Amino acid sequence: MNLKISALDYVQEVKNGNISAEDFVAKTLEQIHRVDDKLHAFLSVNENAVEQAREIDKKIKSGKKIGDCFGMPISIKDNLCIKESKTTCASKMLENFIAPYDATVIAKLKEQDAIFVGKVNMDEFAMGLTTEFSAFGPSKNPWNLEYVPGGSSGGSAVSVSAFECVASLGSDTGGSVRNPASFCSTVGYKPTYGLISRYGLISYANSIEQIGPLTRTVKDTAFMLNLISGVDSKDNTTIDNNNEDYLLGINSGIEGKKIGIIKEMIGEGIDPAVLSATKEAISKLEGLGATCEEISLDMVKYSVAAYYTITATEAGSNLARYDNLRYGYDFPVEGYEFNSYISKARRNFGPEVKRRMILGGFVPSAGHAGKYFLKALKVKSKLTKEVNEAFKKFDLLIAPTVPILPFKLGEKINDPISLFLVDINTVTANLTGKPAISIPFSHSRGLPIGIQLLADSNKDKLLLQAAYALEQTVSLPEVPI
Amino acid sequence: MVTEEEIEHVSKLMKIEIDDHKEYVEKVHTMINYFDILDSAGVESEEISVQEIPISNLRDDEYIPFNQKLIEKLKHYKGTYVRAPKMSS
Repeated sequence: MNLKISALDYVQEVKNGNISAEDFVAKTLEQIHRVDDKLHAFLSVNENAVEQAREIDKKIKSGKKIGDCFGMPISIKDNLCIKESKTTCASKMLENFIAPYDATVIAKLKEQDAIFVGKVNMDEFAMGLTTEFSAFGPSKNPWNLEYVPGGSSGGSAVSVSAFECVASLGSDTGGSVRNPASFCSTVGYKPTYGLISRYGLISYANSIEQIGPLTRTVKDTAFMLNLISGVDSKDNTTIDNNNEDYLLGINSGIEGKKIGIIKEMIGEGIDPAVLSATKEAISKLEGLGATCEEISLDMVKYSVAAYYTITATEAGSNLARYDNLRYGYDFPVEGYEFNSYISKARRNFGPEVKRRMILGGFVPSAGHAGKYFLKALKVKSKLTKEVNEAFKKFDLLIAPTVPILPFKLGEKINDPISLFLVDINTVTANLTGKPAISIPFSHSRGLPIGIQLLADSNKDKLLLQAAYALEQTVSLPEVPI
Repeated sequence: MVTEEEIEHVSKLMKIEIDDHKEYVEKVHTMINYFDILDSAGVESEEISVQEIPISNLRDDEYIPFNQKLIEKLKHYKGTYVRAPKMSS
């Protein structure tokens, strides 16, 4: 049984009767039990998955209508609600929280006969980019266990990379899908804002976050988008994509396309190996008939500060609901005054969440909003204008997903500014609402390098076509797991 | 310049108790100082763009019953009310 196949190959193999969903899912669970002690991608495993796969095999044999996933084993970031399953957000605060409903993406995947093999690790409340801020311990990078897998959807990337599932769903607020995808050598996709419903995603920063797939191939990402995108009455920010088929014409190529190289994302502080990989990617795209030219986006250098200001503010508001009455710990209310009761419960947030809540209280407060929050919103507006201007001239933009290679666990955890700067190339897509993808492209010192492409809003299909074209030029080593 | 007192005050307002001052005050201070870079962005005259959704595009403001038993799962549910800590006078 080959667990390394793509999602589309899995579907084809089951359709053709070459493999059964039960056998594949059983082998996938075996793989999880074999490698996850080392990797810690999973926070919980669905031990009923094999039984569910058996039911799908029965459906197939009886000739009943079967969903497009054919029992495909998928992992889910632990900030997405699956009804009657634990959804912890990798936080002690939600350690025992059982979701009472399905997120829209989960309901859609269930309709398509996907199987959720488990919930995967993340930075607590998605605040981080290494998984080191998970209350349940970090995940490890399958390419080198001493290194971070990226984050915050680190468990998603690790589980796809180490064949513990065929595909995964993560969420991307400032790069949280693309960053771990780059660090673990998987594809990671942040769609146009509104393309995928956020109903059932535990909120961090609503105005910029999106759910996105992590997969082994670009085609698999297009397949996942076909399944989970579209308007949802439960999320008013969703947009109508007219049931776009993202797989159709994915091999259209990029002949004649114009690509802008974002100057500010390949400048100071970039690892020479990442720069060299980026140049190689540009040269390959030119070889495929695209023209590439540098472009300057002045606001990029302020984007990280704007991003953290805006997200902290929204997080400060979103996390107000953790008051120990609706969510939280089991201790009696008697003997407590209201404020001290909530404060006692909030002691159980991890340090990074507490820091961001303090920031989120400070930057929009009277007397400081003008200096921080309003200015951050202005940077966001100006950056969006700059990017919109860029897309009048270019079809796509390119930059490395992360300007540096994966780093060692513990290396940056005590240095918030150095962690901030890891986000420099990814936050632009979130602040402007544009779609962006990280494509596994190269390796250096045994560690993966991802290349990022961005497109204009609602040009997700074009973006996937370009990513597919670039992916076809790449041959990468196998993960040493 | 942000003072440590201001940060402590905000953490109280956010109902976050700080045990280890070094862990929180210093790091939050470092983060806020980094945000000073926004002063050099030259965006003072920039308009803030907001996403406007016409009311007609919003779903109807109707009560949609959920699983009524959900409230019973709250830890301090008392049959007809939820017990909360007393408010300070």
